[in-house]
Amino acid sequence: MSEFEKLKIVTRYELLKQFRRKRFYGVLAITLLAVVLTIGLYQGLDLPRRMGVPQSTINQHGVELFAIFVTSMGSLAILGAVFFAGDALASEFERKTGYILFPNPVKRTTLVVGKYLACFIATAAILGVAYLISAGALLVFYRQVPIGIFGSLAIALVLACFVISMAFAFSSVLKGGMGATIATLLTYMVIFSIVSSSLAYAGFNPWFMPDRAGDAMTATYGISFENAFGGMMGGGQMMSGMVRASQNPTLSFFVLLGYAVILFGVSIWMTKRREMI
Amino acid sequence: MKESIVIDGLSKYYNDFLALDNLSLKVRKNEDVALLGPNGAGKTTTLKLLCGLLHPSSGTAYINGINVVEGREQAISNVGAILETPEFYPFFTPDETLSYLGRLRGMRGRELGHRIREVLKLVGLEKWANIRIEKFSRGMKQRLALAQALLHDPQILILDEPSLGLDPRGMVEFREIIKKAKKKKTILFASHLLTEVAKICSKVAILDHGKLRFYDDMSRLKKKYRSLERAYLKLTEGAI
Repeated sequence: MSEFEKLKIVTRYELLKQFRRKRFYGVLAITLLAVVLTIGLYQGLDLPRRMGVPQSTINQHGVELFAIFVTSMGSLAILGAVFFAGDALASEFERKTGYILFPNPVKRTTLVVGKYLACFIATAAILGVAYLISAGALLVFYRQVPIGIFGSLAIALVLACFVISMAFAFSSVLKGGMGATIATLLTYMVIFSIVSSSLAYAGFNPWFMPDRAGDAMTATYGISFENAFGGMMGGGQMMSGMVRASQNPTLSFFVLLGYAVILFGVSIWMTKRREMI
Repeated sequence: MKESIVIDGLSKYYNDFLALDNLSLKVRKNEDVALLGPNGAGKTTTLKLLCGLLHPSSGTAYINGINVVEGREQAISNVGAILETPEFYPFFTPDETLSYLGRLRGMRGRELGHRIREVLKLVGLEKWANIRIEKFSRGMKQRLALAQALLHDPQILILDEPSLGLDPRGMVEFREIIKKAKKKKTILFASHLLTEVAKICSKVAILDHGKLRFYDDMSRLKKKYRSLERAYLKLTEGAI
């Protein structure tokens, strides 16, 4: 039997595992709540006007403004990816399930790739539901779906790939799945934020930072988030020297993909070396 | 191929601790060998090295002539193993678990379904085939571990404390399964239970502090030391 056949088997059963876990339905419920709340509050509170967006911008880019709001799925991509991937590798060692899985004629690389694909498919399913609801809302309120939504989805998916890779890298070296989950969240939300902000304050454009690249999913609609929401963002009140530039979606896509590939490679290498002690 | 398992100068360090010291051992085809020794003697380390779960510090091992270090996947394709106290994915049923493992071992369709029913019946879990494992007791998981080890009808069984957690009935049933299996299979079996070993195995390897102290037929051991218990106590003197 080829390794590809084995990969299909591993992916299938790992996916079944993901769908059997309560956390999948927990993340799905949070996603549904977040999307419905975003749509409801945006429309109910007439957010653009209250935020001081110029009427001319609302008239010209109303669809895109709404799309930017309802498809800001960065945190959902991170949440889904980290919860599905955090314990994917570490738990085999921590909970001793590896004593059943590893003594089989299958390469560790195949196991890691299969687990990765399962985590990605689970996260993509969550994001797919969120984007479908958003697209439905766009159709209901504006009778059109901007083409930029596909770019936004692409960035969200590659951001999920990056977060899964980072979680896998932590999961391949840390003892527990909980540790890997927390380490991934803290690295993304605290460490990357500190570095990105410091670089921006110092006048550098942190385009190469994963968190900034992840922000690019709001920049796929052809309008600048900063310009559109300039009044609310305090465009003229930023600290001296701070760079706040819209991310280039294409560049961001490849930045995230690059990090994802490198970290995924690290996780495979570490898992192959790791012993069941 | 006369030897199913060849261990050739195998050593294993955990940081500075020498767990296995230049172990060499040959297990011939259809032999059943008990690996005995006190805690920390190196029994589990030996079995983990054979299954490729650990990397040896030096030396190597062969299963059916295939180097375990260089060709792990091929070497263990004809091995069924129970190592330490294995855990299963709690969200799966025994049927799904065995289906997953069977497919990874190249089994398919009706043959796999039939074999799953057969091994679950053998270990007394046929009524539990579609119940999630999260509801299982320690002993039931141990029965399932034996089922997965036998699933692909391997030529070699590597068993680490396989009767751990079994109730008295389970231990008797387990002993009967192994006695039946050993007619056609090579068995390497680590245990603390001397009475169990005496009933099942015809050959004994006694390890202490990572070194092989004795390796011979049970009959010769009894002739030399009068009983397995006396041999064990004599050969592992000063152990923890």
